[in-house]
Amino acid sequence: MSTDGHGGGVARPGFRTLTAGLLLAAAAWGLYSLDSQIQVFGFGASGPDARSFPRLALWLLATVVALRLVLSLRSEDFPLGTPVRLGRVLTVTASSAAALWAMPQVGFFFGAAGAGIVVALMLGERRPLLLVLPLIVAAAVTFGGRHGLSIPLP
Amino acid sequence: MLVDAFLELLNLWVLVAALAGIVSGIIIGAIPGLGPTMAIALLIPVTFSMQPIPAIILLLGVYQGAIFGGSISAVLLNVPGTPSSAATAIDGFAMARRGEGGRALRFALYASVIGNIFSCLVLMALAEPLARFALDFGPAEMAMLMLFALLVIVLFGGGSKLDALIMVLVGACAGIVGLDPISGTPRFTFGSFAFENGFQLIPVLIGLFAMSEVLLQAFDREPLVGDAEVPPLKSSAVRFVELWRMRMTLFLSSLIGTFVGILPGIGSTVPAFMSYSLARSRSADPDAFGRGAPEGVAAPEAANNAVTGGALVPTLALGIPGDAVTAVILGAFMLHGLAPGPFLFRDHGLEVYAIFEALLLSSIPTVILGLLFFRVAIHVTRIQPRHLLPAITILAIFGAFSVNNSLFDVWVMLGAGVLGFLLRRANFPLPPLLIGLILGAPFEQSLRQALLTSGGGYGIFVGSPITIGLVALTVLSLAISLFFSLRKPRI
Repeated sequence: MSTDGHGGGVARPGFRTLTAGLLLAAAAWGLYSLDSQIQVFGFGASGPDARSFPRLALWLLATVVALRLVLSLRSEDFPLGTPVRLGRVLTVTASSAAALWAMPQVGFFFGAAGAGIVVALMLGERRPLLLVLPLIVAAAVTFGGRHGLSIPLP
Repeated sequence: MLVDAFLELLNLWVLVAALAGIVSGIIIGAIPGLGPTMAIALLIPVTFSMQPIPAIILLLGVYQGAIFGGSISAVLLNVPGTPSSAATAIDGFAMARRGEGGRALRFALYASVIGNIFSCLVLMALAEPLARFALDFGPAEMAMLMLFALLVIVLFGGGSKLDALIMVLVGACAGIVGLDPISGTPRFTFGSFAFENGFQLIPVLIGLFAMSEVLLQAFDREPLVGDAEVPPLKSSAVRFVELWRMRMTLFLSSLIGTFVGILPGIGSTVPAFMSYSLARSRSADPDAFGRGAPEGVAAPEAANNAVTGGALVPTLALGIPGDAVTAVILGAFMLHGLAPGPFLFRDHGLEVYAIFEALLLSSIPTVILGLLFFRVAIHVTRIQPRHLLPAITILAIFGAFSVNNSLFDVWVMLGAGVLGFLLRRANFPLPPLLIGLILGAPFEQSLRQALLTSGGGYGIFVGSPITIGLVALTVLSLAISLFFSLRKPRI
């Protein structure tokens, strides 16, 4: 589960470092683009404006995440895993994104069923009968959503 | 009011909702990996076409059922269905191994119901007076109250304080997206109209708890329950006198669960272990604990069920959720037009009291259905994630879409799912993020309204007895946390 972080050595970067790094990058980008993303119109009011709280929150986030990264350097991390395991996660994410992207054209049923079948395959399901299950669930949800809950599904 | 509220419950749909919620909760809770939070988040869209009372009762039924359901796999397989059932597994599994699994589950069920009844009574006694008191709160008081709540989550939520602070700030930063609460200026909307409403709570919840679970299982692909044999369940019964003998344990555990539940962000795992430790320390035979003591099952179960009512006190009275599950329930209340906060009891008192009474009365069907269904639920624990998670993916897409009939919310759900996967793999806690997201925007709004009122002077935050009291509580919390942090290395 963990890399060798004992004995004072520097631990191999893992999920904690990756996640904290991404959060730090996001906070830094937020601070960099703050002025362009938030327009402030002064009406003579005193006190904080629309940029004050975001600036404070983003600075605090960047500071504590940087502190976490420094403290994590000599502690155990959660390994990123093999490319195969990460590949499965990326495949599920990409297939769900593709299903959403295609949904306005192909409809909810085909989009959701497609995403469900990819998830089943990535989780190791190989029996054809159980691969049909997402189709049945998608059909039931589409029918129930449209006719039972009156939701205008794509 | 109480009689009128009771009359609201004399409706077939309320009964159907309560029964359906409890049965679904027991079954979902029994499946390791599917907690009540995910179950409630996925079921919220089902309640859209329902009246508020049966809708909320259905979701609370799921919660009650899932907490008991979590103890089934904990007792029989030593695999807690929910994190709070981990304490139950210690003695419950030991009882099951010596053929007393049925008795352990009965103790768990009766203790759950006792904890629930106790916390419901506290909820009914405390929530309305607290809400009435909070009606006097101005922006400065609300800002200080929310600051205190956020601080409690960071300091006493368990685990790393730094990680909890990071998560609160991530939630607060996510809450910035949308229109500025005072001037209406777009913030981080990238010129898109869809971003102007900000990130909706329900799609974020579904992403964080349901979609992230799908990604985690795709990463791990290991069965949560192996091929371990389920110990045989012999016919058994728990006599009233056995429960009477442990009345003080049940009372103290319910008390711990309720009052820890009131504190934001702590959840039900901490009180379950606190009650277990207290029961062991008070026991005449502490060595029996860990080897199958019925009190070792009853104490954590009473405590983790009592958390429900306790966590609903600040959720309903102040709009401050106690844990991840009550954050989801808060979202459900808002979707049904019952905005939690000081005005809830004034504007929707009848509905709220009907829900309280239903929560109290649902103990009866919980006992009956729990006894009927725990033998069925044993088979449910064998369901593999690969059979269930494709359906959860479809329900997650449907649930996120149905909130506003918008695909943008489904993209938000997917993004929250990926973020949730990374955070859970990195062992960052999710409840502080949720509470930061919920409280971030109202905290900023109250803070700025207070400063506008005072002309920019910070004296307003110590300008009334209530704000002074809240500042004192905040300082006291910091001092207590610091004291325990300094003491820790010496132990």
